[in-house]
Amino acid sequence: MEKAKISAYQLFVLIVLFEIGSALLVPLAIEAKQDAWLAILLGMTGGFFIFFMYHRLYLYYPDCLPTTYVQKIIGKFCGRILAFLYMIYFLYLAARVLRDFGEVLAVIAYPVTPITLNHAFLVLVVIYTVRKGIEVLARTGELFFVLIYLLAISGFILLLVSGLIDLNNLKPMLEEGLSPVIKVAFTQSLFFPFGEAVVFAMILPYLNNPKKAKIIGLSALGLSGINLAISMTVNIGVLGVSQVLRTQFPLLSTIQMIQLAEFLERLDIFFMLAVIVLGFFKISLFFYAAVIGTADLFHIKKPSQLAFPIGFVLLFLSIIIASNIMEHFREGLQIVPVYLHLPFQIILPLLLLIIAFFKNRKKRGQGKPST
Amino acid sequence: MPSFFKRKKPKKSSDNHPSQSFDSSLTANLDIIKQKTGNSPDVITRTLKVGTNPEIKIALVYVDGIVDGQSINDFLIEAIMEKHDLGDLLIQQEAFEIMAEGVVTIGSVKPVRDWDELFSSLMSGETIVLIDGINGALSADTKGGEQRSIQEPSTQMSILGPQGGFTESIGTNTAMVRRIIKNPNLWVETMKIGKVTNTDVAIMYVNGIANDKIIEEMRKRLKRIDTDSILESGYIEQLIQDQTATTFPTTYQAERPDIVAGNLLEGRIAVFVDGTPFVLLAPAVFIQFFQSVDDYYTRFDIATFLRLLRTLILIISLFAPALYIAATTFHQEMIPTQLLIVIAAQREIVPFPAFVEALIMEVTFEILREAGVRLPKAVGSAVSIVGALVIGQAAVQAGIVSPAMVIIVAITAIASFATPAFSMGISIRLIRFGFMTAAATFGFYGIVLGGIMLVVHLCSLRSFGVPYMSPLAPLIPANMKDTVVRYPWWAFKERPRLIASDENLIRQGEDQQPAPPSDRGMVNSRTEKGDRNEP
Repeated sequence: MEKAKISAYQLFVLIVLFEIGSALLVPLAIEAKQDAWLAILLGMTGGFFIFFMYHRLYLYYPDCLPTTYVQKIIGKFCGRILAFLYMIYFLYLAARVLRDFGEVLAVIAYPVTPITLNHAFLVLVVIYTVRKGIEVLARTGELFFVLIYLLAISGFILLLVSGLIDLNNLKPMLEEGLSPVIKVAFTQSLFFPFGEAVVFAMILPYLNNPKKAKIIGLSALGLSGINLAISMTVNIGVLGVSQVLRTQFPLLSTIQMIQLAEFLERLDIFFMLAVIVLGFFKISLFFYAAVIGTADLFHIKKPSQLAFPIGFVLLFLSIIIASNIMEHFREGLQIVPVYLHLPFQIILPLLLLIIAFFKNRKKRGQGKPST
Repeated sequence: MPSFFKRKKPKKSSDNHPSQSFDSSLTANLDIIKQKTGNSPDVITRTLKVGTNPEIKIALVYVDGIVDGQSINDFLIEAIMEKHDLGDLLIQQEAFEIMAEGVVTIGSVKPVRDWDELFSSLMSGETIVLIDGINGALSADTKGGEQRSIQEPSTQMSILGPQGGFTESIGTNTAMVRRIIKNPNLWVETMKIGKVTNTDVAIMYVNGIANDKIIEEMRKRLKRIDTDSILESGYIEQLIQDQTATTFPTTYQAERPDIVAGNLLEGRIAVFVDGTPFVLLAPAVFIQFFQSVDDYYTRFDIATFLRLLRTLILIISLFAPALYIAATTFHQEMIPTQLLIVIAAQREIVPFPAFVEALIMEVTFEILREAGVRLPKAVGSAVSIVGALVIGQAAVQAGIVSPAMVIIVAITAIASFATPAFSMGISIRLIRFGFMTAAATFGFYGIVLGGIMLVVHLCSLRSFGVPYMSPLAPLIPANMKDTVVRYPWWAFKERPRLIASDENLIRQGEDQQPAPPSDRGMVNSRTEKGDRNEP
């Protein structure tokens, strides 16, 4: 574990940037059609419960990383295997996000540049950041948080002023009842992006004020959920459900609609700016968790030494996980949620929590007579 | 071989012998001084004879040019010669105490213990008094000589505020700050750094406002320095900074006493170096380099406007050529159609890609700027004419660059001149080339990645332990009042939290906001009742 501390506000900023991350790109919860915003908000409430789980685990072991306390909960051997699996999970997710952004770049601006090259440069920046440690990442987050919100607010104002948002596209609400919305919420938007915040189990021990962890986590998840819901509502309002269903990157299409005062047009570039910054934070956080966890697991004193080798693994992994963009998205929508997100985000933490609960109750029971 | 070394050793210690103690014979002492200074003609020895029975010889030794001749004449030579019973008094062993207390009428006189001390005070402009037959010496402070008078600073200009800048003399410089902060808590510590140059270095801080830990760290870092020479404060800066692998300055160089005073009151520490008008201020934060003293002297709304303007200047001087390259090479679609047609028509005859075009112009401009600094003043204007013609017209007419590129380079150049701190401006100039390369290889994506890397780098820097990007990151809302915006003075309740001492953060009382008088009667008493819109 690195010798560092981050403040409550910094954690808040990191969670928001992380959550908005790649979820802003894709048509999130679009299978719920015009009720996507509702599905996102429902997914967010589900995300709260996932957050509660690892927050409780964090309260049992506030001073050590999950890779360490897993060994305390289920024993050294099994714990190490589980911790290692988690590291691979984080690294895989980092590679997935990296691939997402590589594909976006290829579609919107660089159709000819080899995707490996685009990935390599982003990975270099990520490695540079992770070598500097979590404190630097958190401080960088504070600065870019302001930038992202400035971009988002100005984009929103431009859309409002140009009169593109047609709220009639959101009607009728709950056309087919509540059940499809709930289904989408708890099979998709719960895992992505809200469940992915499980990576913050690796960051929570750095918080300088453990009491604030809960309120910060919940408010950050809440803010990002609301922001995502707004963004999806605006997308549907501008483009209409059928077009959002057909497009790969609805927010990009929305921003391309802006045409104002004869020169505020073709603002894709600002979308690209936001996308790269957000993607950078999401990849960096996953990658940081993988690096710091691996260092903790194998007792490597300087985690920054691992950044380069694991960074190369990340780069190659991002290329080989899928042979093309359709395969990549299909895996992300159908395979990853069931076989990876469900166990790693919900089942395993829940089991760990139950075991930890009984272990710690026993301890407390033993402790009681002496007091 | 061993015998060779053995023979050498005792000889070496006899060489060192003079530094231990003085001889009682005056001629022997003077010989040693002559030998040590290599018979330099500017080391002047003046021998006086006092008393009649016994006749005692007194020698004054000083270095010509760095002493004040007038005070040697008035307060040393005359004082000694006029004291007629001196001869009888000086036979006693406490001769130097008698000299110091009763004869020499100069402000600061102190006994010298050994040769090292003698030479260091001799070389810094003091006069050494030696007496025949007595084993010891006395040094009198007669520092003086030619100095530059106080003039306007050459690098940190301002419209408002005091116009005096520092000079090369450390004594004058510390005095200028003392004249602003009239408080016994303004503490100065001096030391000599540089084994050969023996440069005077002083650290100055306001006791109680500056953070003790940072002062201690500063002392530690200065004491660590083991080098032969310190010729300018830039030497010190490079030897005490936190991180060396950066182009950004992590200490602030000030040439004006009001800047130093203002920073001392925020809890910073100043390092004065003899021989240079540039004073180092630490810890420095990024945002500080974009603030000017004028900001604090004008009203807050104007100051805020100027600071926002400087933020824009920063963005232009970093990104303007890079954005032009990216837009014309990769993202033509982001340029509005009309403008795109104009630029494309201009670029049609240009034989180079935009990157090469930009590089040619930027490098030409850097050469012109460097030449402008080095050239004698009389030739300087010629360079600017040639530069204007080369950059402006000829290059465009020859079809080497496009007019749009000229505009971009000109805007960038003007923007980089407008950065208030020179050291920051030059660092931005350097990084700009990195951004241009990134833009040429990856377009906008490259610029954004470079920007992220730059921000990460800036966030990783520290100056004496204080995060470089504070109070923006880590965000300290109480100190945001003096960053890219400046609140009115009555709102500055606190000193910077990470820099000043924790116990003394509050800098002004409550209710400092001015308001019109509640009684309207005081405005103009001669008007009739009802004229003043009273309720």
